[in-house]
Amino acid sequence: MVGPLTNVQRSATHPLGIAIRGVSKAFGRVRALDDITLSVEAGQFVAIIGPSGCGKTTLLKIVAGLLRPDAGRVEIGGVPVTGPGPDRAMVFQDFALLPWASVLRNVTFGLEVRGAPRPVRHAVAQRVIAKVGLAGFEHHYPHQLSGGMQQRVGLARALAVNPQILLMDEPFASVDEQTRRLLQDDLLTLWADERKTVLLVTHSMDEAIYLADQVFVLSPRPGRLFRIIEVDLPRPRSSQTTRASAAFGRLVEDLWGILKEMQ
Amino acid sequence: MNRVARGEGMADGLPTLGALVALMVAVEVVGRLDLSLFLPTFSAVARVWWQLLQAGPLLGAALKSLVAFGIGFGAAAAGGVVSGTVLGRFRLLGQVFDPFLNVMMSAPLVAFVPVLITVFGISDVVVIVTVFLFTFFVVVVNTRTGFEGTDRRLVEMAQSYGAGEVQLFLRVYLPSALPAIMVGLQLGVVNGVKGLVVGEMLLALVGLGEFLVRYANVFLITHLYAVIATIMAVALLASYAVQLVDRVLIRWK
Amino acid sequence: MGESWALVWGLRGAVVLVVLGVWEWAGRVPVNFAFPTATATARAFAELLGSGALPRAFGISAQAFLLGYGAAVLVGVPFGLLMGLIRPLGRIARVYLDLLITMPMAALVPLVILTMGVRITSSALIVFIFSMPFLATNAYGGVRDVQARLYEMARAFDARWLQILRMVVFPSALPMVLAGMRYGLSRAFIGLVIAELLLAPFGVGRIIVDARSVFAFDRMFAAVLSVILAALLLLSGLQQVEARLLHWRR
Repeated sequence: MVGPLTNVQRSATHPLGIAIRGVSKAFGRVRALDDITLSVEAGQFVAIIGPSGCGKTTLLKIVAGLLRPDAGRVEIGGVPVTGPGPDRAMVFQDFALLPWASVLRNVTFGLEVRGAPRPVRHAVAQRVIAKVGLAGFEHHYPHQLSGGMQQRVGLARALAVNPQILLMDEPFASVDEQTRRLLQDDLLTLWADERKTVLLVTHSMDEAIYLADQVFVLSPRPGRLFRIIEVDLPRPRSSQTTRASAAFGRLVEDLWGILKEMQ
Repeated sequence: MNRVARGEGMADGLPTLGALVALMVAVEVVGRLDLSLFLPTFSAVARVWWQLLQAGPLLGAALKSLVAFGIGFGAAAAGGVVSGTVLGRFRLLGQVFDPFLNVMMSAPLVAFVPVLITVFGISDVVVIVTVFLFTFFVVVVNTRTGFEGTDRRLVEMAQSYGAGEVQLFLRVYLPSALPAIMVGLQLGVVNGVKGLVVGEMLLALVGLGEFLVRYANVFLITHLYAVIATIMAVALLASYAVQLVDRVLIRWK
Repeated sequence: MGESWALVWGLRGAVVLVVLGVWEWAGRVPVNFAFPTATATARAFAELLGSGALPRAFGISAQAFLLGYGAAVLVGVPFGLLMGLIRPLGRIARVYLDLLITMPMAALVPLVILTMGVRITSSALIVFIFSMPFLATNAYGGVRDVQARLYEMARAFDARWLQILRMVVFPSALPMVLAGMRYGLSRAFIGLVIAELLLAPFGVGRIIVDARSVFAFDRMFAAVLSVILAALLLLSGLQQVEARLLHWRR
């Protein structure tokens, strides 16, 4: 059993796999998800894509432990999910930063919740803030930062608790395209360095193919697993090599074809 | 106060009615317990209220209050909207007068009533001016905020279609500021009624306020409650009246 | 911005001078035999201050004020916070608070005087009922305004309820609570003035009423202005505290 501070104190993480079995979820009469079964191997980077309302965010929240499925279950590393836990951390589309707290304070949020003592919190935070490229901004406030920088803070906050699984809910949807590309590349670099299982929900076909090993396509409401695309593009990926390659273009078009098929 | 500013206004119809009924029931029950001279039953208060209404003094006093309120509020509303418009349209003026407005909004304007009494003597002009003061600044500030908050892009858009100053004002600025103006009037009404009561009480000569002081002086507790209830009713009705106007006028919201 | 800044302050100064000038003129004309000039008022003010009468009166008034306002904050703010956290309580209580806010509280003053007599606690109670509803309502609004997303974020990090209160709800509600304290402060002053004018026997209200009865109008005006000044000073003090606490705002 992973204790509250175990991950924080560990320097290396062993990523865990996610097993989603027969998960269904409805909100009143609206059926968001219908019998979703999929597996994510430990250390894999997986994207979930689909039209609006297909329940991808709902699925992510169920994995995060924020919502309970009506049917089916989610297992992480073989252990069923009953609620949020130290093995997972989430990154939000609208950043969800505390406006009254500095960058440092925001990043240490998860650590503070888990009761890590202040020197530990600060040490971890400094390291992680430097990793996301915000060294020197520790005492700035969210409103002083650009959207891209705010999301880096969100990312740092998630990394600070050293989770085995990173859950990302359209994390780059609120920033402009140039910033998005920079953030994507930085994410890949971080992921290569500290291997975690990543579950990323996105609207962007480009982003899904560029970042992930596997893309799960969900159908419109009620969300069902429609197709799985294997992305066997070589790693490490970069805008110059990967994006320009013919294989990349083909995969994006394949994905587009699948999405069109669902309409 | 801030919730009114956000447009929530008074708790809407049914819950308020329910709360009032619950209050009446509570007062009745507590009154029956006969705990104190100062806790009459609701029915006793209602009976006295009916007596006063029929005998005449209450209605007459209420009418006098209403007239004074009407004049004071009307002048303050009109003057306030105009002033607020000017201050809102012409940024420099708005900036210049900003600290003065803040002072008038924060200061206890009640303190001026004795001054008004010495200047105007013992007459209902004091009440009218008190209502005016209590209402005016609230209306000015809210109106000004309404105009200052006009979306610049709409202005630019209208200008690009060749709209002149007058058209700009009527088609862009005014409709944009209208919600804030209505909020100002709503707040102004509530404040104005408070000014009315305070003015009349300190004057101790006219209207409902005078009755409060009189009944208190002669220890007619139930009568006192009757007048308090009347004042509360007046306050609520005045507030609802403005909200009604708001709903009719600002239907697009 | 240097140029227009000077212009704005210049114009403000002009407005003040005009007002003082008109006042002085009105006193000299005189508009009314009871209307003192600005200079006479200033002199009377200095006298009241020097003789110690004003400070002493404020000292007495301050007791009632601090008692009433302090109680209003200690009762109103926690109650408002509770209203925000416990939905049914909030739904019921907000209706009554709305009534209290609409109601001219001055109308209850004779009742208070009747039941409690003429003493400092009566004044304190009046100050309390004038300010408490606003403090509660603002605290309530502050809690209700906490962004839903922040709750979700905190839960995602597995925060417990008390942690969410401490780390998310209270800091988020603070600006509204402070704004409520500011507004409650000005309301408390209104209550104090009304209480003093109607109770009269002590405090600054006493100076006002006494001065009027001996036709010392310059002293009366001076006392009135001193109350206004005191209110403004306290409010600006509170604003400084607010700015310090909310330094993270632009």
